[in-house]
Amino acid sequence: METMSKLGRILMVEDDPKDVELTLTALEEYNLANEVIVTRDGEQALDYLYCRGEYQTRSRDNPAVMLLDLKLPKVDGLEVLKQIKSEGELRMIPVVVLTSSKEEKDMVASYKLGVNAYVVKPVDFHEFVNAIKELGVFWAVINEPPPGSVRK
Amino acid sequence: MARPNLELQIARSPVLRYGLAVLSVSVAFGASLLLERFHFRNVADPLFLLAIAIAVWYAGTGPAILAVVLSGMTDTYFFIEPIYSIYITRADVPHFVIFVLFASLLTGFAAVRRRVERDLVQARDDLQIEVAERTQQASLLNLTHDTIFVRDMSDVITYWNRGAQELYGWTDKEAIGRHSQELLQTIFPTPLEDIRAELLRTNRWEGELKKTKAEGTQVVVASRWSLRRDDQERPLAILETNNDITERKRREEEIQGLNRELAKRSTDLESINKELEAFAYSISHDLRAPLRHMAGYTELLQKHASAVVDEKSNRYMAMILESAKRMGNLIDDLLAFSRIGRAETQKTLVSLAQLVREALAEVRQDTEGRNIAWRISALPDFYGDRSMLRLVLVNLISNAIKFTRTRPQAEIEIGCADGNRDELIVFVRDNGVGFDMKYVNKLFGVFQRLHPSDAFEGTGIGLATVQRIVHRHGGKVWAEGLVDSGATFYFSAPRAEGHLWKP
Repeated sequence: METMSKLGRILMVEDDPKDVELTLTALEEYNLANEVIVTRDGEQALDYLYCRGEYQTRSRDNPAVMLLDLKLPKVDGLEVLKQIKSEGELRMIPVVVLTSSKEEKDMVASYKLGVNAYVVKPVDFHEFVNAIKELGVFWAVINEPPPGSVRK
Repeated sequence: MARPNLELQIARSPVLRYGLAVLSVSVAFGASLLLERFHFRNVADPLFLLAIAIAVWYAGTGPAILAVVLSGMTDTYFFIEPIYSIYITRADVPHFVIFVLFASLLTGFAAVRRRVERDLVQARDDLQIEVAERTQQASLLNLTHDTIFVRDMSDVITYWNRGAQELYGWTDKEAIGRHSQELLQTIFPTPLEDIRAELLRTNRWEGELKKTKAEGTQVVVASRWSLRRDDQERPLAILETNNDITERKRREEEIQGLNRELAKRSTDLESINKELEAFAYSISHDLRAPLRHMAGYTELLQKHASAVVDEKSNRYMAMILESAKRMGNLIDDLLAFSRIGRAETQKTLVSLAQLVREALAEVRQDTEGRNIAWRISALPDFYGDRSMLRLVLVNLISNAIKFTRTRPQAEIEIGCADGNRDELIVFVRDNGVGFDMKYVNKLFGVFQRLHPSDAFEGTGIGLATVQRIVHRHGGKVWAEGLVDSGATFYFSAPRAEGHLWKP
């Protein structure tokens, strides 16, 4: 695939292993899964972004997009969003909230914090796969990521 | 009471008064001459003294002095040796001096007596005027319905108006002279010493007191005390005005009780609402995830195994997917329904005609390939939550579309029924499959359905949503139907102030 060469790295923050598997499966189906970092809670996600803890030695470039669940252990999604959107460098990373919740207050809070997109995970797997595919294609392929992001 | 009219004892005219003096002396003189002719002795002096006394008594001091002078002169001239001369012998000097002194003393006494008498009359008149004034004031105080009484500094009642009688049941005769606190069994909110101290300091006191009527019931009164002082600033009496506030107090307490109850219920409701919100939030996150996984893995299974499993297994997998999808819809509808209960209504002036157009646009997909005759009459504007009202119309219209599906020619009518002045009624009528009026009460219940889901799809929450929204607007929903002869759904909304009727 031509686009493979410039596929952006995706940072996924998701605590549910089944959701991780299904998402990865969906991404795989469209060959978008070769550069996906999975973090399982808000703290780990922040560690990754700030290159600390287990991610101390990772390459310094930022992901092309971050798929963020809201209901997370330790530090929840809104808190993660708040922290990175108030940080000079990290602020530029496009963040897509990917959540089960259709709650209006979550949506409003996310947009107020500067989220780039808000996607409710559809129950129907077809729709779910399509949503993930489109997200992956748009953010990891079509969208020009901010400087400092990794592209392969 | 028979009193001598003292005023008439003194003639007003000076001529009459001095005339009386001259006349009485003349009469005494004449009588003396007459009596001497009959050889009575020493009659002149007593008679002149009598004349002076009469002049003093009836004519006043001036005429009395004139009488003394005239008597003295007449006496020396006619009765004291030498006779027919104003000279008197040395031997008669004491007699004459004593006569004059006695007469003068008599005049003096009379003058003092008259002055005392005049003062007395004056004092009596003043008293009469004051009594008249006081009586008038007291009767004025009796006119008011306020309870007014006066007590002296030892709390003995000295005045008791009719208002007091009406409130407490004691007449003025029964109350006056009694100790007020004892008579009325007064209960004070603060120690009586403090109240008295305040009264003496500021000359007034106000507060609520409990008192007992003659018949034994207790009343709460708003009491105002005013202290009256005498000229030397000594406390004299206390004027107390009472207003019966028993009923007001009772109502106040009732209102306070109700307010407390209301506040408690409101708090309860708030916490229930919070719980409900947390519950809904949790459902929306946690319940959908496993459902998504079920659907996801089943689909993956379908993809991996469809070639190797038999048709039956494939059908089972399809059923699982269908159920998962249905449950997803149920959860979504239930959340939407609970959101309507929690959301604030934002009322604006809404054009129902415009809302119907929007609702029709939203359900257009369902009408594809259908033959539907729409009859939409003029619809009014009114105040309501725009998005909620739109949901009402979408639900009612899509129901009408759904349940006329079996009709070759569907007819759907949207209009405004004759409401009254206070409310307007909107209806949606169809010629669809209708329903049995026996089950009309089930129509608006959550998850209540009158048709099997394979005949007409749906979660059974649409009409419950309609009802909830209409209730939140202060209106009612109801329906009429006949099996196989269509149904009409009505909702009413109060035409409160600002609800404009624009046909």
